[in-house]
Amino acid sequence: MSSTSPRERLVRVLQKKSIDRPPVICTGGMMNAAIVDVMETTGHTLPAGHGDAGLMAEIATDVHRATGFENIGIPFCMTVEAEVLGSEINFGSLECEPKIEREPFPSVRQVEFRDISGMLKSGRIGTVVEAANNLSRRHPDQPVIGSLTGPISTAAAIVDPVTFLKELRKDPEGAHRVLSYVSDLLVAFAQELVDNGATLIAIGDPTATGEILGPRIFGDFAVPYLNRVIDAVHGMGAPVIVHICGKLQAVKGSIPLIRGDAISTDALVNLKLLKEEFPQLVTMGNVSTFLLEMGEADKVARQTGQLVRDGVDIIAPACGLSTSSRLENIQAMTGVVKS
Amino acid sequence: MAKSKEELFRELSESVVEMEEERTVKVAEEVVRQGEDAYEAIEKGLSHGMERAGQLFEEEEYFIPELLMCSDAMYAGLDVLKPHLKRTGEKKGRVVIGVIEGDTHDIGKNMVRIMLETGGFEVTDLGRDVPPRRFVDTAKEIDADIIALSTLMTTTMDGMGKVVKILEEEQIRAGFKVMVGGGPISPGFAKRIGADGYAVNAAEAVKVAKRLLEGVGGVQVVA
Repeated sequence: MSSTSPRERLVRVLQKKSIDRPPVICTGGMMNAAIVDVMETTGHTLPAGHGDAGLMAEIATDVHRATGFENIGIPFCMTVEAEVLGSEINFGSLECEPKIEREPFPSVRQVEFRDISGMLKSGRIGTVVEAANNLSRRHPDQPVIGSLTGPISTAAAIVDPVTFLKELRKDPEGAHRVLSYVSDLLVAFAQELVDNGATLIAIGDPTATGEILGPRIFGDFAVPYLNRVIDAVHGMGAPVIVHICGKLQAVKGSIPLIRGDAISTDALVNLKLLKEEFPQLVTMGNVSTFLLEMGEADKVARQTGQLVRDGVDIIAPACGLSTSSRLENIQAMTGVVKS
Repeated sequence: MAKSKEELFRELSESVVEMEEERTVKVAEEVVRQGEDAYEAIEKGLSHGMERAGQLFEEEEYFIPELLMCSDAMYAGLDVLKPHLKRTGEKKGRVVIGVIEGDTHDIGKNMVRIMLETGGFEVTDLGRDVPPRRFVDTAKEIDADIIALSTLMTTTMDGMGKVVKILEEEQIRAGFKVMVGGGPISPGFAKRIGADGYAVNAAEAVKVAKRLLEGVGGVQVVA
């Protein structure tokens, strides 16, 4: 029997210490593994679990047990922050993840800046924090990952996204103010999560990609606020995983500037080459989510095995999982890493 | 002294590429004042500028924020010129466009719409987060030639296949061309779900749409 607990293994890899094998995880949040296959057998279901701490903890536990992922990941959506900041949320269904129904602010100049500590008591922040508390006590050997929606994505979920993207150029000062405000909320949310037993924080920021923003705006607007959140979480004594969506080509220069403890990437990125280019990076990824949904288990196993052989530090899905991903495929993925 | 129309069109194109909305409006007003042909000004000025912006986007010189600002400038110019359009431009075809249900990203789709419109297509935009069934219903309703589906999220790619399935179930598949695009979509995926066309970006989408209407069969990969 291995003496290393999953929690220890993940923390060690994030500290660049030696480990017996890579951990295989799924962070929650953007990478939510609460698939229909799992929920249908347990009866603990979404969308109810998005707003109920007890149910959220049950689902997170079910997912961990059924899939073999070596962590607990919450929440199961990317709308917690935006909701607290005033967005209207559609909670979706068993199959469909929650989404922003309407952004409350037409432009960055119209954003209403509210008191952060007051907001921590509103919406579902308390729900996620309570679930983290419950889960960290229930699963002391598992890393509990609190997932945050990154600053750019959160800002583009409270301000009309098309306008927001234009304002990154047209009104940089206004955009900075909103990003700063959003980052303050993220830091405060992270603090609550860490105080309540979250082992680490994962940040997914799907609007902050090279393809969407380009290198200059990514460098000027995405990196500084990601780093602000990362530095603050480091100050709490917890590590941070950052997921960057899309191709990295356009923003490659910025990657080593992101101060997270691991970089997770999309399926399009060759992590072996990325590691060669930036040997200091702890890499995470990137099993095709397309394969997990549509592919065969043996193909998933082969791809996963290749990632392990390529020296990818943490094995994980490449992007948000489809809720109709096949449990058998996910088990093939986690099984290969553990064998 | 009045500028030549070539100069004006060049300036229109330039101001669109440079993301200068106010200047685009001014030049468009100048076009109207001098009595130049509005259609020609759209084609050789605004569209031309947008095409160049699309080119810069392809070359990764411009990104989405820049492209959106170019399109704002283009639309501002279009607002000035539209009332002066003579009904000469023949319509290339009708398109229903939208982002598949479950996805609220519509930036890419908006770009495709703008490019299709400036390329002479009549476009019905269903917006974002659209159920597969609505694409089919709308396409029937407006007698569309093309159904254009976009998604940025891997989690919603299924919906694209569903649109094709509904068309097949209703035995009207042959009546419509289906084209797909968006971040996670690959030519291989387009082929698997039985789409007729795939475009890697907005500028290519117009080329693909034109070729589809010309009746060239098979999945048209335009890399």
